[in-house]
Amino acid sequence: MTGAVLAIATNTVRDALRNRVLYILVFFSLVMIGTSTALSTLSYVERTRILQDVGFAAIRFFGAAIAIFMGVGLIHREVERRTIYTILSKPVTRAQFMAGKYLGLVATLWLQLAIMMAAFAVVSLASNAELGVGHAIALGLVALELALVVAFATLFSSFATPFLAACYSVGLYLVGHLTRDLRALGASAHSNAVEDVTLWIHRLFPDLSALDRSIEAVHGLAIPPAEIGWAVLMGVAWCLGFLLVAVVVFERRDFR
Amino acid sequence: MTDVDTIVRVEGLVKDFRPGFGLRRKRVLHGISFEVKRGEVFGFIGPNGAGKTTTLKVLMGLIRASAGRAELLGHEVGESSYRRQVGFAPESPYFYEFLTGREILSFYARLCEVAKPRIAARVDEVLAQVGLAGAGDARLRTYSKGMLQRIGIAQALVHDPSVLFLDEPMSGLDPMGRKEIRDLIVRLNREGKTVFMNTHILSDVEMICDRVAIIVAGRIAYEGALEAFEGEPKLYDLTLAGLPADFAEELEATLGTSLGGRGDRVTLRLPEKETNELVQAALARGARVEELMRHREDLEALFLRAVRSQGKEEPS
Repeated sequence: MTGAVLAIATNTVRDALRNRVLYILVFFSLVMIGTSTALSTLSYVERTRILQDVGFAAIRFFGAAIAIFMGVGLIHREVERRTIYTILSKPVTRAQFMAGKYLGLVATLWLQLAIMMAAFAVVSLASNAELGVGHAIALGLVALELALVVAFATLFSSFATPFLAACYSVGLYLVGHLTRDLRALGASAHSNAVEDVTLWIHRLFPDLSALDRSIEAVHGLAIPPAEIGWAVLMGVAWCLGFLLVAVVVFERRDFR
Repeated sequence: MTDVDTIVRVEGLVKDFRPGFGLRRKRVLHGISFEVKRGEVFGFIGPNGAGKTTTLKVLMGLIRASAGRAELLGHEVGESSYRRQVGFAPESPYFYEFLTGREILSFYARLCEVAKPRIAARVDEVLAQVGLAGAGDARLRTYSKGMLQRIGIAQALVHDPSVLFLDEPMSGLDPMGRKEIRDLIVRLNREGKTVFMNTHILSDVEMICDRVAIIVAGRIAYEGALEAFEGEPKLYDLTLAGLPADFAEELEATLGTSLGGRGDRVTLRLPEKETNELVQAALARGARVEELMRHREDLEALFLRAVRSQGKEEPS
């Protein structure tokens, strides 16, 4: 059971690591993290804050870009290249195939995240910027956010072409980051209808901003454990939910 | 035969496809039924677009039937656990090109839960079986079409299944390669494996298949043993040589026709009884029997007849 998932996951990592676009995106993320040193010189008072703000932004932006770029073709490519024929004719369920592909891509993303984190740490230490538990928590939540982005990109990849899946994924990523602000806006709108609508939008879409704790990390503010726990719970639940729907959709597909 | 002897059972299988969004469904399989028994080499033949690959994909669980039943080894084809006993080589297979032949076979062995310590030896075995022993460490992107076809068969064999499904296994192979794969199929069959073969190459079917099903326009036009192609009454092709002239004249008078042939050799096609009588008479008159063989309608003729007759039955 797990042997097949592991074999597919390992193969997915090998396949993904061959993709040159992955290296280009990682390279640019490293350039941006490095450039943060120069950008931080623009301010005398908050040099380290600017440096780490830019570093976090680079990690989150390029991480999400890689997750969407690689996730949207994850299943579609296997069907298109017909490599799926020989795999699904083996004692492998479609759910196992999906799980293997998903875990393989998440492992790849976490590997590139580790490289970006290392660059972030080196730049921070070289600039005498503080690194604490808050940074570790914020980066851990970025890792969870990437896993969530891969989960919905995988769902879209299970039934749509890469272009459409990319459109849906980018849309959901943006909406996911706006739902909290939208809800706050609705609450101050003095209209029950608007408040209800924004509340439901917040409930129906994953709240990705709950996984963004970079501000607290950079400012050295405490992050309440309950909020971390809730963010992790929410992130994991959405991952499982998206994957479950992806499996249901994938189970119904014909591979002509 | 008991149920245990039925490896594949297809009953009233229907498959409809929607060619595109908003378009009407198109029926590709019209309630086909057939069976494959244990130990057979079964040829599934038909013209392009007849529904061969669709049927095979239903059996492999890659597409779902719209109606009807398809069972493999007594299991519904949608299940996956029994697939440890099944090997499938698709037509023109595609693989991860960045892997070597050895790596891809190890990958499939892991999918089939071949014991880890056994994988390396098993991979070497199947590489040798398909004639790729020296190419196992080359990347698949450097393989020729014929080599990929062999790797396709190798991955179907890597977990030593009891049933093999081969979709056009000889396609892309040169005559030597075709013979090797044909011999391999015969050898695997002798080892006890049941083989289901989808093919266009009728001569291969004639050489290695025990039974065939002919599918035309999504309907089974014929299913049965190759022997059944032989018509009734049984006919024999008899070649005699060294025929005395007077005996030849007698023969012409008896048969009411002039004898064809070169020199003192004649070839005749006669029913069984007449053949026996003529052989005895010819030997008694000093002639030699050069060749005597059962006349069989070849598969191609039957295939064409099935296609034509099905075409006539098709509603216009």
